[in-house]
Amino acid sequence: MFVRRYLIPRFIQYILVIFVGITAVFFIPRLLPNDPVLRTISELRARGATLEPGAMDKIIADLTQMYGLEGSMLDQYGAFWARLLRGDLGVSFFQFPTPVSALIGTALPWTAGLLLTTTILAWVIGNVLGAFAGYYSASRWSQGIDAVAMVIRPMPYYIFAFALLLLFAYAIRWFPVSGGAKLGMQPSYSWPFIQSVLWHSFLPALSIVILGMAVWFQTMKLVVQSVVGESYVQYARLGGVTERKIVTRYVFRNALLPQITGLALSLGLIFSGALITEIVFSYPGLGTLLYRAIINGDYNLIMGITVFSIFAITTIVLIVDLLYPLFDPRIRYS
Amino acid sequence: MKRRLMVLLGLLVVASLVLSACAPAPGGGAPAAEEPAAEAPAAAEQPSSGLGDLPRNETLIADILTGRVGSPDDFNNWVGWKWRDRGMQNLANEPLWSVDFATGEIINGLASGDPVYNDDFTQVTIPLREGVTWSDGEPFTSADVVFTVETLMAHEGFGDNTFFVENVKSVSAPDEYTVAFELNQPNSRFHTKFLDRWGCTWIMPKHIWESVEDPVTFKFNPFVGTGPYKLHSFDPSGFWTIWEKRADWDKSPTGMMFGEPKPTYIVFQNFADEGAKILAQLTHQADVLGVSSDGLQAVLQQCDTCRAYRRDWPYVVNNDPAQTGITFNTAKAPYDSKDVRWALLLAIDIADYMGIAVDGTGALSPVHIPSLSNYPDDFIKPMIPWLEEFTLDIGNGETFQPFDVNASQRIVEYAKGRGHEVSDDPAELGNLFGYGWYKYAPDVAEKLLVKNGFSKNADGKWLLPDGTPWQIACLSGTQAVNHDFRNCAAAVQAWKRFGIDASQYPSEANSSLNATGDFDVSGNWPAQEPWGAGPDLYRVLDWWNSGYIKPLGETTSGHPSRWSSPEMDAVIEKLRNTDPTDYQAVVDVGIEGLKIAIEEMPGIPTYGYVGFVTWDEQYWTNWPGAENPYTQPYTHWGPFKYMTPFLEPTGAE
Repeated sequence: MFVRRYLIPRFIQYILVIFVGITAVFFIPRLLPNDPVLRTISELRARGATLEPGAMDKIIADLTQMYGLEGSMLDQYGAFWARLLRGDLGVSFFQFPTPVSALIGTALPWTAGLLLTTTILAWVIGNVLGAFAGYYSASRWSQGIDAVAMVIRPMPYYIFAFALLLLFAYAIRWFPVSGGAKLGMQPSYSWPFIQSVLWHSFLPALSIVILGMAVWFQTMKLVVQSVVGESYVQYARLGGVTERKIVTRYVFRNALLPQITGLALSLGLIFSGALITEIVFSYPGLGTLLYRAIINGDYNLIMGITVFSIFAITTIVLIVDLLYPLFDPRIRYS
Repeated sequence: MKRRLMVLLGLLVVASLVLSACAPAPGGGAPAAEEPAAEAPAAAEQPSSGLGDLPRNETLIADILTGRVGSPDDFNNWVGWKWRDRGMQNLANEPLWSVDFATGEIINGLASGDPVYNDDFTQVTIPLREGVTWSDGEPFTSADVVFTVETLMAHEGFGDNTFFVENVKSVSAPDEYTVAFELNQPNSRFHTKFLDRWGCTWIMPKHIWESVEDPVTFKFNPFVGTGPYKLHSFDPSGFWTIWEKRADWDKSPTGMMFGEPKPTYIVFQNFADEGAKILAQLTHQADVLGVSSDGLQAVLQQCDTCRAYRRDWPYVVNNDPAQTGITFNTAKAPYDSKDVRWALLLAIDIADYMGIAVDGTGALSPVHIPSLSNYPDDFIKPMIPWLEEFTLDIGNGETFQPFDVNASQRIVEYAKGRGHEVSDDPAELGNLFGYGWYKYAPDVAEKLLVKNGFSKNADGKWLLPDGTPWQIACLSGTQAVNHDFRNCAAAVQAWKRFGIDASQYPSEANSSLNATGDFDVSGNWPAQEPWGAGPDLYRVLDWWNSGYIKPLGETTSGHPSRWSSPEMDAVIEKLRNTDPTDYQAVVDVGIEGLKIAIEEMPGIPTYGYVGFVTWDEQYWTNWPGAENPYTQPYTHWGPFKYMTPFLEPTGAE
């Protein structure tokens, strides 16, 4: 019953969303006025390269062929699916002939490592604090934390991150100004390298955790305040259920449901990178890779990153959907 | 369930920490240097230095102009774009010849002298420098050059394949230090393919490439060159590349010509934005930076050990070999009329224009090459008598001489009005502000337009000859710090004041629109950039060749102005038949071409490119500033390697 009435339709929906998403990702960059071939030639010229004007037609034809941009858009679309189904995302136009998968493979661990950690940390701390602050909303400490969150939350991320950088990397000089690890250090599983990565990622992580925490804190606090006023909580209290049980089973558990959905979406978004974090802290990752791909009209790279992101978001949402009965016993797929 | 959740979350956190710790694929560094600087003396490391094990006072740190390297492990510069300014062209590679725009010299690198052409330019012989070795110790000989050309001709995937296939009939090595080319057709500028002006055809080490199965996909890692530095290591994420001085630096042309480079290590690092760059320099973690004008001010105000190219106002580097200005699309009306183009020029008050564009800091040029290097002496000053006599027919039997030899003085007055201290030395003023420009003559501009059927409406706004309002959208990129944007901004103000409905049209598709002719007026350079040294203007003039022009909508092969003329074609042909090493003959033909460009004015030359560089003197001094321009000042240009022997370490810890 579960398989036929829920799992199969849900899986078809999952495939359909991926197909529509990837199709949109194929066509939308091609509507940009940027022609990747002309952009490449222009970049080469702008950087002083001597391109023989007499050979320009040949250069354009060669680049068009190398980039796989020959034929109609439909031809290219067919070729794209044929490649994708073989697991081939093609080569980057602007970083030719580097495969898109290699570029993503280099950037992804940095992004995933930083954002997975910080997203989860911010979610856990923000929700725990928010839950208690919501339950004990009349207390002074709750109001104090709320006031701090009110100040932090509307702060533009760029300003906040840059302020941290100025304070801890320039004024106090506890942390490095930029980078993912020390200059000259090659990636390895050695403790010095891991230590260096942790040291370099501390400020970017701190900036994301603090701002993320403020958001989760405030939403959780509001949800808890709302749940506390629900009649079933009042009945439980009148019925003599212990305070501890009311807090954990009746209030926090119910308040957590929308936050779990939020966490799933946040985890999915990890795979499109954290552009501003990467810019402020010169941190390696997918964000700047995607940004430069858009600026340069690098269709294959744009598609590669977004295909990855579409897979990640839809898959995580699917998993959360399937796991939801664990969190909310009222939901039964059968 | 709570316990399971907590375990799950804990596992996720641990997994993500491990992910970032082992982030890039191991083995991404240079194979020969997996343990960076293992032998290097330990530095007195400060908590925030971030320099790993390299000794800071023996290391020079510069930023990468073209940003984070997208293909860090690929050094095959013969295919596509490989971020060659990360130390490849500027430290590790030596070309046959290099342009040094600061001195106006062409420097012999792997070549030991000028190319020698036969009378009809179908044969050329190049003498090579003796005693040079590759960074792996193998000798450099003419066999490397022959191998390079033959390899490039054999594989279509190489960027230079078309050029060599079309031009080269055969290449041979008469002896170990001579290369001889037989060409398919006369080409007196064939050798410039090997002349480094921010890129050229590099020579491959035959002993490495000859055993490569597919040279197009070969990554050439580690890079082996004939420059004074060799690859030390690189970041698999593309943020930095480190180069180490060769133990046999004296076997490189740089070492032979200028002596031992001083920095032991040179790091090219990418900073994601200007804020990060400035913070790095303020904390002495970056020695050389390319910055914006605001960034320059920020560094100079807060860093006691930092300096700019000029120690005093205007601080800027104004000898970059690019002439900025305005380009007209001459394939479109009304910009197909030279009267209209001249009218738009005469509607510009250059003092105001320069104030808006660059706060008066650029050197004016009335011709389509910048006022720098040997160009003022060879071209601009000798042309002044002709410029002063140059006359426009403005209709009704009236004429007008537009040149104003004192135009630069108006910029000086502007600068003084802004409170800047400006030298009174005429030589210094010429160097800083140029040698004249054109008069501000809106009345003459009006007569030229009326002569061509333009009129004004009751509001004083200009109408096209068909009676519709004249609107100009000046196309530029979107970055306000770039000079195409700045030129458009200044021109739009001038033309608005003149009564034209002008506006700026910033677009990310700027390059595509320029190439296909989908614009009226743009902030693109009004002429192709010259070499920046030597007398030859072939690189500038040939882009106006009528053979390169395509219909609107198709990508043009020549200059985006799509302008040409039979007279210019004749000059180009004449230049092709002039020996490039005959200095005065080349200058004379170049002047002929410049005169035609002035008469026709397909684009308005305004000021030479203005750049901003900051140098920290905490660890290194004797930078090639304006007071001692022994070489060009940038670290991203090829001759940076020629700067390294002249830098002086301070010994600071």
